[in-house]
Amino acid sequence: MSLFYALLVGIAMGALIQRVGASSPRMILASLRLENVAIMKFMATTIAVGTVVAYAMSYFVPMHFDVKPTYVIGVVVGGLIFGTGFAVGGYCPGTCVVGVGEGRRDAIAAVVGGIAGALLFTLVYTLIEAPLIKPMSYGKITLFGMLHLPPMIVAVALAVLFIAGVTLLPTVPRARRFRASATS
Amino acid sequence: MTNATITTELPARRSAVSLPPWASLGIIFGLVSAAAIALYGPIGVSGTYPRFVGAVLRGVAPAYAAANPYLVKMGSLVTPETMLVIGLLVGGFVAAQLSGASSAPAVEYVHANEVTPARRYLNAFTGGVLIVFGARLAGGCTSGHIISGITQLAVSSILFGAAVFASGIVTARLIKGGR
Repeated sequence: MSLFYALLVGIAMGALIQRVGASSPRMILASLRLENVAIMKFMATTIAVGTVVAYAMSYFVPMHFDVKPTYVIGVVVGGLIFGTGFAVGGYCPGTCVVGVGEGRRDAIAAVVGGIAGALLFTLVYTLIEAPLIKPMSYGKITLFGMLHLPPMIVAVALAVLFIAGVTLLPTVPRARRFRASATS
Repeated sequence: MTNATITTELPARRSAVSLPPWASLGIIFGLVSAAAIALYGPIGVSGTYPRFVGAVLRGVAPAYAAANPYLVKMGSLVTPETMLVIGLLVGGFVAAQLSGASSAPAVEYVHANEVTPARRYLNAFTGGVLIVFGARLAGGCTSGHIISGITQLAVSSILFGAAVFASGIVTARLIKGGR
């Protein structure tokens, strides 16, 4: 049943990513160049709604939470490498799959690159495990666990912060700064 | 009768709540992401790449695949995450078909060095290598870490998200002359 649910979630997610334009490398680069941050606002809105709804639901139904472990060096170095690739190609591992579905030919190159990257990681895993994954490892820690607060309080606080950010900050910062009459 | 109510209600509702697409689609995605956690688990994508590599290597080099600790750890392709990735392909196809005229261009050029299609493919390929290598090192990508990880208020995912946007914004600045 999980396989079927995941397929439905994937179809919805693929359609949402296509509709918002997150599978467009041009939109990704517009976000990273801080020219049009619509995709960043989309992600922040998703997280704000998701965190409040998920932790609110946890009061009524059993939830399948699965927090990823914190190993500071590997997570940060991985994030820095990921960010570089994000800016070079304009895709992330999911949006390039959506792009292939849409008929983008450069998305196929990104998926093939992703498979090559996974093969490379598989080949060097035993070499990088000791220096990058083992040290500074704190297990599956959460923000509410560190703060000793109920999850729902932290979820609402994060949602308020993100909603304030996406509401108050301009979607097209440069146009606002240089051209007062620019459309939103 | 029903038609009349729909036509009178729709414009009124639109003018009352004029959310930009990123907001309305973000709200729906947030509900989908919470529903996934309720139904089977948080969304994720990037683990599918090494599972696919594992499936291929188990066919062509079974001894190596059985001895590689990472491929053993990642396991088989028969997992909800693989179904989600198939769903992404289907969802992207269907949404593009339904949007008709505004469907995606075959290739989008984003950097000044992309003077030929081959250069664009090379950038997309290089980006693909880096995002999946980085995601596997960190244990997740945009969906597994940034979306569902921060949704669960995971410390690792907040660190990952900060590192991705710091490095992405700096790299986009360093690559001069976008198009």
